Amino acid sequence: MTPRAWGWVAHLRDGGSTPWRSWAGEAEPQGSYLPGAQQLELLRRLNAEAPVSPALAARVLAASAPGRGRPELLLEGAAAPSPHGLPPVDPARLPDDELVRVAAGLLAEDLSAATVPSPPRATRRPWQRPYRLVGDPWLADPIREGLVAAARPPGGPRATVLIAGTDLATMLTHAWALRCFGPGAPPWAEWLDEALRPGRLPASVDLVRSARHWSERVGPRRLTVVLDPTAVPRLAGAPRRRARAITDRVPAVPADAAELARRVGPVLGVLVAPERRELLLRRVLLPRLAGAGPTLTVPPDRLRRVRRRAARVRDALLEGRYAVHGDPSALLPRSAAGPTGPTGPATTEPDGAAVLSLALRLLREPGPAGEGPRDRRGAPDTEGAT
Amino acid sequence: MSERVLLHVGTPKTGTSYLQDVLFRNRDRLLDAGLCYPAKRFDDHFLAALDLQRLTWGGLEAEAVGAWDRLAGQVRRHHGTAIVSHEVFAAASRSQADRALTSLGHRNGTEVHLVLSVRDLVRQIPAEWQENVKHRSPIGYAQFLQQIQDPERSSRIGSWFWSVQEVPDILDRWAFDLPPERVHLVTVPPAGGAPEVLWKRFSAAFGLDGVDLDLHGERSNPSMGVPETALMRRINAAVNDVVPPADYRPLVRELLAHQTLSQRTRSPRLALPAEVQAWVREREEAWVATLRERGYDVVGDLDDLVGAAPTSPWTDPDHPSEKQVAAAAVDAIKALTVEAARLRHSEEQLHRELAETRAALERSYLRPSYRLREKLVRRLETGAAGQRLMRLYRRVRGRSSRSA
Repeated sequence: MTPRAWGWVAHLRDGGSTPWRSWAGEAEPQGSYLPGAQQLELLRRLNAEAPVSPALAARVLAASAPGRGRPELLLEGAAAPSPHGLPPVDPARLPDDELVRVAAGLLAEDLSAATVPSPPRATRRPWQRPYRLVGDPWLADPIREGLVAAARPPGGPRATVLIAGTDLATMLTHAWALRCFGPGAPPWAEWLDEALRPGRLPASVDLVRSARHWSERVGPRRLTVVLDPTAVPRLAGAPRRRARAITDRVPAVPADAAELARRVGPVLGVLVAPERRELLLRRVLLPRLAGAGPTLTVPPDRLRRVRRRAARVRDALLEGRYAVHGDPSALLPRSAAGPTGPTGPATTEPDGAAVLSLALRLLREPGPAGEGPRDRRGAPDTEGAT
Repeated sequence: MSERVLLHVGTPKTGTSYLQDVLFRNRDRLLDAGLCYPAKRFDDHFLAALDLQRLTWGGLEAEAVGAWDRLAGQVRRHHGTAIVSHEVFAAASRSQADRALTSLGHRNGTEVHLVLSVRDLVRQIPAEWQENVKHRSPIGYAQFLQQIQDPERSSRIGSWFWSVQEVPDILDRWAFDLPPERVHLVTVPPAGGAPEVLWKRFSAAFGLDGVDLDLHGERSNPSMGVPETALMRRINAAVNDVVPPADYRPLVRELLAHQTLSQRTRSPRLALPAEVQAWVREREEAWVATLRERGYDVVGDLDDLVGAAPTSPWTDPDHPSEKQVAAAAVDAIKALTVEAARLRHSEEQLHRELAETRAALERSYLRPSYRLREKLVRRLETGAAGQRLMRLYRRVRGRSSRSA
């Protein structure tokens, strides 16, 4: 039986994509152990679109599924039945999640070798409006960078503190995505339930807490809660003509991409130091994934709880007499989650098949470190296929 | 290049902490005898295992970056016999095992021996549940048993348990390219025997007989009883959200579990419920048959892998005696109070030292020469020429400091 398995390995290594069940060719062993079903199926899926380079094929076959989980599985029909270990499998029937696990390890390796682009720099001129931008980091960080790129860096004497926010449902997706592209997060549904428990609003999107903090530091007259992110550039003194380009830097939260980052992050954490891990995820991986797939939204069955929480945040801001730019009711979820979000297709949870598809796309693309394409080659060799 | 490497890959709960403590504390004596146990800190091999397998471990993985390559490099540089030991290696996949063996010099002139210490499932199953509880898990015993009996092993608990405990499968992953005479199984003797028997077996397997070693270590991984483990579960449920892993480890796992609750040895012990005993025995016997057939070197007796029948009535840790849990809780509160008092004293001492340091600093600020220099610097910093002068001065001072 094993010669058939080695035949399939050779076929996949040569760029083939015939499923294991349809395979009948044979070959001599090409290594000391047979790669796992997960690795072989991942390579087959990669080859299915276009054969990958021998180097990438070799990496996939030698890869381990990182972290905890099921070990490398044997191919059904390739080994004698054993009373120990997990039963062999038909690789085509493996859950997407198993393949994403292997792909996440490879992507983390690629990412660990990447160069982190430097953020834009600018010197503040004395006549420019002094400001400081805080609040929801998913909004504030890219807008701040946009302002710096537009020669409007933050800082200055007696700066006005702008606390950026938007509707709470969207900010919750931001908070989860920040964790995925940062220190790590549980799955979206699990994380959201925890975030909606009383007293558990994530600090990064707790505008009341932020307003209290800055009010104590700079006084209530020098802070403004901005619930319309598109207004931030103007309030920070950027020219009106550049405002759009600055706020366009804020990506919608791509559900499947955030889930992929959530899977890649922990492996990356074993390869690089924590601070570099966050930089790689935010500054290298996120730009490659921005705009990929539907935007994440809060599921309809959680919206009532989000609305109640948002109403409390709104009331607390009004009671605290903080200056609010925009309608305070903009904190409430805009509408029940539908098939489309504010900027295009939306979804209430990541889709396993789409996450895998994204991972396959990234593996095929030129590496983040700037290497040339490494996967294009000739037509698939289907010799041995039945 | 090492001539010989003894690679000990598990399994957990087989006396590995004691063995690793002896090896670490005696590494100079071992080196004198030609045996290298390469470690600068106690958990170097654990970090190497995390790195090799790309495992996360409550944030400790951040300290593990590059740890495997460092360890393998130290092994390769030693001329003689080297020992590598950690039970987390048991979970490695074939490809990770292959990478490990290759980087240790396998197929390149180094004689790699695999050592696996093994114990019967009758003791390993409750011990692994307790390990989960000691690693912050609130999972109940019944749920744990259910997850490890799931044939799909798709849960986090089930997949991990079998990856570090299914002896024939671990050997399939680690020993696929080693002759059976280079695979050494060290069996843990049945409960109730002389405690030194296990050490003698380890000593024989690692070739330590005749080396003068200090065996009186403090580090071990002792077991808790039923009410103590039940108490730990309740503590986990209460503190998991508010105590980060870095604080949990010294306060809950070390102070409460290892130093306090495990000292209570008269409480009922964890054991298997009657309904899983036949299922466990069937697995143990299948393992023994397979291992016997493979012809590995056995230090001890393969029959040790078949657990003994229970000698006392089973106590359900999911429904413990509240009186016993309360007694354990009092011990836990006492230990935490003593620790809090110690920390208070330490804090007071640090406050005193800080006040003395501040007073000394104040005295130095009050010296006329300091005040004159401070005034001069302030004056210079107000003008462009003065700032340039100060930059020049700082550059010169920096250069002088470096060359000094």
